[in-house]
Amino acid sequence: MSKTKKINKVKTKKFDFERLIMDKVKSDKIVMKPKWYFVIGSLLSFVGFASLIAFAIFLVNVIFFILRSHGPMGSWKLQTMLNNFPVWVPIAAITGIITGIFILKKYDFSYKKNFPLLIISLVMSIIIAAWMIDKFGLNENWSKRGPMKGFYQKLELNENFYLRNQRLMDVDERRRNHPRW
Amino acid sequence: MTDTSDISDEQLVKYIREKDKEKYAEIIKRFKDKLMRYALYLTDDYHLAADVVQESFIKTYINLNSFDIKKKFSSWIYRIVHNEAMNILRNRSNQKFPILENVEFDSGINLENDLIKKELQAHTHYCLKNLPILYREPLSLFFLEDKSYEEISDILRLPTGTVGTRINRGKILMKKICQKLKK
Repeated sequence: MSKTKKINKVKTKKFDFERLIMDKVKSDKIVMKPKWYFVIGSLLSFVGFASLIAFAIFLVNVIFFILRSHGPMGSWKLQTMLNNFPVWVPIAAITGIITGIFILKKYDFSYKKNFPLLIISLVMSIIIAAWMIDKFGLNENWSKRGPMKGFYQKLELNENFYLRNQRLMDVDERRRNHPRW
Repeated sequence: MTDTSDISDEQLVKYIREKDKEKYAEIIKRFKDKLMRYALYLTDDYHLAADVVQESFIKTYINLNSFDIKKKFSSWIYRIVHNEAMNILRNRSNQKFPILENVEFDSGINLENDLIKKELQAHTHYCLKNLPILYREPLSLFFLEDKSYEEISDILRLPTGTVGTRINRGKILMKKICQKLKK
């Protein structure tokens, strides 16, 4: 046996992994986590992922709903829209998507696929789903009945409040410029 | 007592989970040298590598019920060692690791006769030590641990194409480093 191999052997003997670890196993210092722990963990992460995606779809749909109701080129002026637009909606939607992507990355299969393509597909699916909800008028129904009625009505009330203010400001401005008007 | 020395790693895991936890010693026996060698390539410090392997065996045992026996157990346990080593390396990123001058590696596999493998056999430590970890890891797994692209992909959680690219780039770098050594 060469000198270096001897050194290696001596060093390996110093770490008796079998004894070190099996002592802990036998004395129950380390215990196997039960199967249900992992099952629940997987279920929760799946439910969390699905909820986040649903949440993101809903919020992207709210953006479509607001834009369609008043239209960026419609009666809403850009400044009014910027002042009035509920910024938390896109922020929450983006946070939902990013957290969803983070959870997706944790899944075993994700590294085997083209991850940027996976992300693009996910984001596109969210946008398309949100657009379809808007296209088929589901959000219109939700704004009239169901548990989300209050939420949509609040959005509309908020917009109307700003619109009314904007109109009053327009009238004041015209009066100032054209006193006979 | 049932003889478990002939059964596959995956069957052994099933046996440990369902019947006899003390058979975990067999897992340790099967993997300790391979994992120690792998951890040593990553950390370049014998004691650190031993810590990594010990901690990995503990984590493997604790999470044994999360292993899917349809998959390859060796890829799973190598992955745990990889994660453990990366955590330690990240924590110690500002520290310089000591160089092991007097440790020889017995890979336990038959190396083929191509130039790279000969170079690796002859100057393994020096060449690998000087490679960035990005290439050192897939190269050591491919040439010295005899893992397939698919297994390396499972261990490093990288697409197979990326594994191939890193191995090819690593080979070019390796050649340069080994040639420098010769001069």
